[in-house]
Amino acid sequence: MKTKAQLIFTTVNVLFWIVFLGLCIKTGALLISFFVSLFINPQGAQNLHLGLDLFSLLAFDRWHYVSMVSLVIALSAVKAHMAYLVIRLFLQLNPRQPFNIHAAALISQISELALGAGILAILANAYAKWLLKKGIDLQSLSQYLDNGGEILFLAGIIFVIAQIFKKGVELQSENELTV
Amino acid sequence: MAKRKMSLNELSEKVGLTLANLSILKTGKAKAVRFSTLEAICKVLECQPGDLLEFRENGP
Repeated sequence: MKTKAQLIFTTVNVLFWIVFLGLCIKTGALLISFFVSLFINPQGAQNLHLGLDLFSLLAFDRWHYVSMVSLVIALSAVKAHMAYLVIRLFLQLNPRQPFNIHAAALISQISELALGAGILAILANAYAKWLLKKGIDLQSLSQYLDNGGEILFLAGIIFVIAQIFKKGVELQSENELTV
Repeated sequence: MAKRKMSLNELSEKVGLTLANLSILKTGKAKAVRFSTLEAICKVLECQPGDLLEFRENGP
């Protein structure tokens, strides 16, 4: 009979697998559509992924289009990598000895990636606002640009948790070497 | 242990510690020792804590 905590643990693990696969598919689709729109058929920019229409941006300036789409792809890739690290964390977590160096390192990496995602999101939003002032239609882009401030806030929380976890690793190793 | 002609296995059984923990203690890797453990070892080996512990500057 599984405990409630084990059930929640398994459910969250499965959810993160779904999120990871979803983000990988999104990133891959964006990359392929991006290359198609640049080198094969510019009409591809009308529907890069699930209704993302940046054709007006491509028509306005090719380099602005490349920059904006690169930011969107990078943001998606960073989030996919974060989900991957969380899955790795779940895989190597031992309920009997949860505080180990590898888990602490993974949590630190997740906080660093969250910081990177936050900065990317802020840059992308600022860039989109600047492009909007030029009169380019970027309505469909809003769902692909996350709130950078919120991501940075979460990055801060994960960083604090990472520091507490590192202390936990120290305390556990000291406990293991206490006879 | 040599004086009492006792092996590590025998000592671990009498003291109630695992071989791994005794080995940690013997090789100087232990970070802390419980008083109960020290008492048990001294009782079995018929010695004083000072016979088992030594102070060294800047770690082992």
